[in-house]
Amino acid sequence: MLPAPARYRFAVFERALAGPEINPPKARSLYMNSDDRGTDRQRRFGALCEALRPDLIRFAFWLARDRALAEDVVQEALLRAWKSFDALTDEAKAKQWMLTIVRREHARTWERKRLETVNLDALVQAEAPVLASDDDAALAEMREALFRLDDDYREPLVLQVMMGYTTNEIAAHLGLTQGAVLTRLFRARHKLRTAMAVDGTENEA
Amino acid sequence: MNCLDFRRQIGAEPASHDVAVVQHRAECATCAAYQDELLAMDVLLARAMRISLRPPESGAKTRPAPRSTVPPRRWLALAASLVIGILVAATLWVSYPAPTLASEVIGHVSHEPGAWNARDPLGADAIGAVLAPSGIRLRDGAVEVTFAKRCFFERHWVPHLVVQTVNGPVTVLLLAHRQVESLAHIDGQDFTGVVLPAPRGSIAIVGRNVSGLDDIARQVFEAVEWDV
Repeated sequence: MLPAPARYRFAVFERALAGPEINPPKARSLYMNSDDRGTDRQRRFGALCEALRPDLIRFAFWLARDRALAEDVVQEALLRAWKSFDALTDEAKAKQWMLTIVRREHARTWERKRLETVNLDALVQAEAPVLASDDDAALAEMREALFRLDDDYREPLVLQVMMGYTTNEIAAHLGLTQGAVLTRLFRARHKLRTAMAVDGTENEA
Repeated sequence: MNCLDFRRQIGAEPASHDVAVVQHRAECATCAAYQDELLAMDVLLARAMRISLRPPESGAKTRPAPRSTVPPRRWLALAASLVIGILVAATLWVSYPAPTLASEVIGHVSHEPGAWNARDPLGADAIGAVLAPSGIRLRDGAVEVTFAKRCFFERHWVPHLVVQTVNGPVTVLLLAHRQVESLAHIDGQDFTGVVLPAPRGSIAIVGRNVSGLDDIARQVFEAVEWDV
């Protein structure tokens, strides 16, 4: 049984996501009352969550390197996002906004749980079902190589390749200079190429 | 821009459309091939990052268990269960079929369907830049190549070509690292093809509903020269 504050938070979250089912959408009106505005807010937030949640979980997974922890981080991040949803003035920037919240939530979780340094091999083994690919060995190899990259290299690479961020946006997101981001991206790819190539001599130019 | 600057920039942004990058690429076939390698790696990387979000199977995820409070007399039964579990897991592990070369080839080809849309024949320099690192050459004019790239395949960089034939385009993977004993046919997901032994490694040739595969295979085999 969850403690009372946690029950309350989950109830708020459930209501936020469930919006249209609990409160059928009403016709929009210039004279929308507070209930309508609340319903509209829930509907918009629910739609955003539905669209962004898969990528948020993937992003959190590559940050945390733990599937279960990634789910927890995203759950908490969505709760925080719901509470400050009114601060999001431009919904076109919702993805960036939520990624920032996920990143902060992950950092908070890391700090709160005081996670111990883990054995990387054990971590790879624990996440083997997520890293595996039934029909493509290269894909599984690449996932493991990415999994083993240092955080400093993995995060900007995920932001660039999966989220489509420019180097400027990555720099702003991570609080780095653009030069530092370019260096990290270069080194990340170099490390991946080295890790992936068994006979690296033919690949190094 | 020199080759070093090009590679630094491309290493950070493989899809860069910077004017200096585009210009250097047009002038240097080796750097162009390097960029193609990085672009191919980014395709694989993007697919790798998109992990499946299906719920993990029960028992697949192992979490640290709390300290056991089981009475000592039950340790024997637990140990026996553990041994049986390990034996079952080992049996499953050993008997699990490894991905076959055919399925790996089809998997690779099906992820790059756009390669077959290329129609303009590539020049000898562009083809040479892709083949040379693997110690392979093509005889001049023996086949018409419209796509050439180095790809990750079975943990190796391999030349991936698209060759135009009278029966349509076929993908050719030159697998210097992979020895095969004899010719094997590939058939699945609308793809047909063959893998044949080569002087060093093997050659995989795959087409979509393509006929006359034996003639095509012979033509490709005779067109490729290997440094043995």
